[in-house]
Amino acid sequence: MPTSWESVLPQLVAGDAPLVAHQPMDSDAFAGFYERSARSLWAYLARVSGDAALADDLMQESYVRFLCADHPEPHAGEGEVAGRKYLFRIATNLLRDHWRRPRAGSIEDLPEDFFSAPGNAALSDVKAMLGPAMKQMRPRDRQLLWLAYAEGYSHHEIATITGLASASIRLLLFRARRKMARLLREEGINQGRRV
Amino acid sequence: MTLGACSREKEVAELLRKGQWLQACPAELEAHVAACRACSDLVLVTGSLQQARAHAASVAPLPPPGILWWRAQLRRRNANLERISRPVLGAQIFALAVTLLAAAGFVVANAPHGSSWWTWLEDLPRTLRLEALFPATLFHPTGGLWLLVPTLATLALLGGVAVYLGSEKQ
Repeated sequence: MPTSWESVLPQLVAGDAPLVAHQPMDSDAFAGFYERSARSLWAYLARVSGDAALADDLMQESYVRFLCADHPEPHAGEGEVAGRKYLFRIATNLLRDHWRRPRAGSIEDLPEDFFSAPGNAALSDVKAMLGPAMKQMRPRDRQLLWLAYAEGYSHHEIATITGLASASIRLLLFRARRKMARLLREEGINQGRRV
Repeated sequence: MTLGACSREKEVAELLRKGQWLQACPAELEAHVAACRACSDLVLVTGSLQQARAHAASVAPLPPPGILWWRAQLRRRNANLERISRPVLGAQIFALAVTLLAAAGFVVANAPHGSSWWTWLEDLPRTLRLEALFPATLFHPTGGLWLLVPTLATLALLGGVAVYLGSEKQ
């Protein structure tokens, strides 16, 4: 039976009723999902943007948009796995929007020192571990590398998250990985060997 | 350009994904990785990024989920109110347009009759017995009614604009 606007309006004004037909999750379910996903999302945003304060803002906005989304896509079928992918997709779009603002001009034209902005105390140790390698990568390459090797997403999943063509992910990732490995070796980092 | 892919990359990636690299890695595979550019790149980059991920996740400053939940509820509520009020605003604009068209039609239809058609307006205060409420000077043909009506209309218009601007700001 369709709901008329006369019956919905009092509920809307009172603010105590489901406001749309699709209610993604309740507060307890969200709290659990948040506990399981927030740290990895923050790590992604902080390492790719190089700005902890920006990561804080974008992470919160990502969750709010995730909860506001009427689209049932993230909760159908794969459950929480799909929810996490959807969350990373929102965060990726927010990062892209941030980079596309006139201040930065273009995702490719960011100044190098943008990624070493002061005030990122929480990231200083991680930066020391990865050295300037990440800083020298293009933002898009950082996204691809992080999603593939830190989060373990497949090429198809990365294509869904980033909006890039699935066929081009492999080549982009290969080039980014090769460059990153070369930069890490130049820093003297050579993991994965027995000592 | 050849991608230089190695047939053993999947094997190495699976060990890395499970966190079993080196612990569960056969010596033969380790020797292969040492000699293979693609596999050694994979091990190096994956190891570095996973280490960075673990560290960044451990220092992540997370706000309580309840704050985000209520922010989302508030945003959903505002979005729904806006969605509901959009057709109401459309109806108001439509009603105003119809009223203006009717008024214009009325004026055009009565224009051939000269100025005599609007004498009923001068008699309106007497018809509604308004002289009991207001001073008689207001209803003099050249008196205050013609000043009062535009003044009230202007006040109503300015009031409407003020309410609109106030609600927009809110």
